[in-house]
Amino acid sequence: MSEKKKGKLSPVIDYKKHEDPFSKGVAFCPGCGLELLIRFIPQVMGNDIVMTGTPSCSAPVLLGQNNQSWHSLSYFGTLMTGAAANATGLVRYYNRAGIDNTVVCFNGDGTAADIGFGNMSGAAERNEPFIYICYDNEGYMNTGIQKSGTTPYGASTTTTPVAKGSRGKNLRRMNLALKMAMSKIPYAATATLSDLGDLAKKLLKAKEMKKNGFCFLHVFAPCPTGWGYDPAMTVEVCRRAVKTNYFPLWEAENGKIRMTKTVNKPKPVEHYMEPIKKFKHLDDNDRAILQEDVDYELCMLGGLSILEKECVLPEAAD
Amino acid sequence: MSKNTYFKHEGPWSDANDPLMCSDTGDWRTKRPIVDKDKCIFCGFCQIYCPVQVMEMVGDSHFEADLGFCKGCGICAQECPKQAITMVSEGEFVS
Amino acid sequence: MTTPRNDSQIKVITGNAAAAIGAKLARPDVVAAYPITPQTEVIEQLSLFHATGELDCELITVEGENSAMNSVMAASLAGGRVFTASSSWGLVFMYDAVLAVAGARAPVVMVNVNRETPGIIAVSCGQQDMISTRDSGWIFTIAENCQEVLDQVLMAYRLAEDYDIQLPVMVHYDGFYVSYLSEVVDIPSQESVDQFLSILKTQPERTKLVPGQKLGCGSHGILGGYLELRHKHVSAMERSKAKFDQIDQEFMDQFGRSYGGQVEEYCMEDAEVVLVGSGSMCGTIKSVIDEKREAGIKVGLLKLRMYRPFPSERIIESLKGRKAVGVVDRSLNFGFKGGPIYTEIKAFETQMGGAKLVSFIDGIANTDITKANVANMIDMTCDLAAGKDVPEVTWVSYPEANEGV
Repeated sequence: MSEKKKGKLSPVIDYKKHEDPFSKGVAFCPGCGLELLIRFIPQVMGNDIVMTGTPSCSAPVLLGQNNQSWHSLSYFGTLMTGAAANATGLVRYYNRAGIDNTVVCFNGDGTAADIGFGNMSGAAERNEPFIYICYDNEGYMNTGIQKSGTTPYGASTTTTPVAKGSRGKNLRRMNLALKMAMSKIPYAATATLSDLGDLAKKLLKAKEMKKNGFCFLHVFAPCPTGWGYDPAMTVEVCRRAVKTNYFPLWEAENGKIRMTKTVNKPKPVEHYMEPIKKFKHLDDNDRAILQEDVDYELCMLGGLSILEKECVLPEAAD
Repeated sequence: MSKNTYFKHEGPWSDANDPLMCSDTGDWRTKRPIVDKDKCIFCGFCQIYCPVQVMEMVGDSHFEADLGFCKGCGICAQECPKQAITMVSEGEFVS
Repeated sequence: MTTPRNDSQIKVITGNAAAAIGAKLARPDVVAAYPITPQTEVIEQLSLFHATGELDCELITVEGENSAMNSVMAASLAGGRVFTASSSWGLVFMYDAVLAVAGARAPVVMVNVNRETPGIIAVSCGQQDMISTRDSGWIFTIAENCQEVLDQVLMAYRLAEDYDIQLPVMVHYDGFYVSYLSEVVDIPSQESVDQFLSILKTQPERTKLVPGQKLGCGSHGILGGYLELRHKHVSAMERSKAKFDQIDQEFMDQFGRSYGGQVEEYCMEDAEVVLVGSGSMCGTIKSVIDEKREAGIKVGLLKLRMYRPFPSERIIESLKGRKAVGVVDRSLNFGFKGGPIYTEIKAFETQMGGAKLVSFIDGIANTDITKANVANMIDMTCDLAAGKDVPEVTWVSYPEANEGV
């Protein structure tokens, strides 16, 4: 028998201190980024979190059927319009009643960036003490791949189709996490599935920081079904998103931005787009627009992260 | 109060104190991951990145997929730093 | 004249203040506040009570009505006693959550200050907001005056949180007429309200969303499960009718005021002609009835206090064998010429022993239901009783509508 070279067990396993509360066989597509994320969160944060969520790809698994359930978390499933308000109601009552709680408001980008943005913004302004996690698959995947506020420029969806007079979404995506960081909440961060150690740290930090108020995590979670890539590539797509700065990893404590991963010599965004069918129709000009958007956002992040050091306030009047 | 047949509670509550529902998602699979025990360096990447969390430790030697639930996405094979996992068509296993 | 009972306090306050005081006396855990005319004073008062420490609760100053309803729904399902208030567009903006609250069987209590809804120009009284939301699965009650607003808020908690009911309750009262009108109100003491509500503590606990208890709310009903949920809902609504009557009796025992439960009857014993009304118009109707009675006309009022579930049994019992009944609606019912409440009562016409029915539409779109209008309605209903030809529907303040269609 040949002597086997042993590697070091991934430290990510050490973050998973709790059992996976989900049933083994649940209805997420093969290679689903959301499934990887949703099983990871309670393994890191504990099974006593209370999750709230909305109609979305997560709903068929998070919601029960009659008396039966697919998982053993306490869960409240309601409406996309009021997700953050639901979490607000829970956490306010628990805190009043002296019930120890970690409320995780878990929603897709359709809820967070579009229809539920107003109430999320309201909860952030009121600094409600819970954790909002947006799993971003860049569109309405559950209803059959429609464009959302975080769908990137050029992406083909069923409401931004590629046709004679259309080349996919003709608008740039919104930067949801930056918007939330600008809300002066205690903690805002981005994370993705290729960097699970980084994600775990941010989950635990949010759990700690929620005692000071609203915490927001924006998790990039690609969708093989909706984006048209090989399901085996989900984690690789995340990795490429980070390496091209398409989805930079950073965190902001009380609005102070810090990169948690600096990418030296980033690859062109084309490297990220290459395996994904929703970008296949784009030409060099389109890719340049997307690259410009990526550069602009990174520049803005970089600027904000040094703002405090560099900014010279004008002298006050007498 | 009305009769409880499908629900144990008056409102639309599910109760996970009862056994959880479970689908045989292994049936969805068209390819299955085969782990080369000799190549495996026990780094656990397949385990952490598996969306279904079906890669199980076999002692402290290697990982193997629970084929009852593995959906065959192939992320484990893609992420394995030693290419120790091969996705093999289910057709190969039909006797 | 109201006489103070036991340790209650007599004050001159608005309907909105009465609603706020009623809510405060019920000791809610969580209150969501968002302003809208003519409800604003309710949440201003509650915010002030909260600021002074008179009201010990979590006050959520939400960024919109939708969040108001969503936050109190969740707080209620977590186990809290909750309150919010809205009106018109606000009720419409929270409507998805209003439906979800009912489906989740969360015992939310709110007041809705009735206001028109055809456009932002409609800053006037009307029950169209109530009619537009009537089939949400909530219990709807309607209060006539400031005293009844306070009293119905207290009754609403008894009804909503009753273990046999577990349904949200919306107390409606007319915007402007009741919301801003100051009247003498007998404010019960905290101790007496605590006693009135204490029976709820003796009941089994409803299902609550507690961390770590492995329960999920919002489960899909599949196969027969969905039908089971809907049937449970309908059954609880039906049970709420008798429960409301019972609570009215217990309210009488505690506070010395009774309204009759689902419906209130005024001069009905020997009445041959009846007006059916709801809300603030009933005060005017009562005073006109007093005058008509002096002139020897046997007229009475049937006031709807509960609108959903529809108190059909009590209505039939009360109207059976009368000569003629005029139903006054403060809203419209598209596709039907008559008003909504008229149309619903009309469905039971064959069970009313020959009582003839007519519809009056009044008090919408900035018009007052004046004493002259009420007298006119009574006269027309008397004409109907006497066998004269009376149109089925009359827009009392807009004769042009009656010239044909």
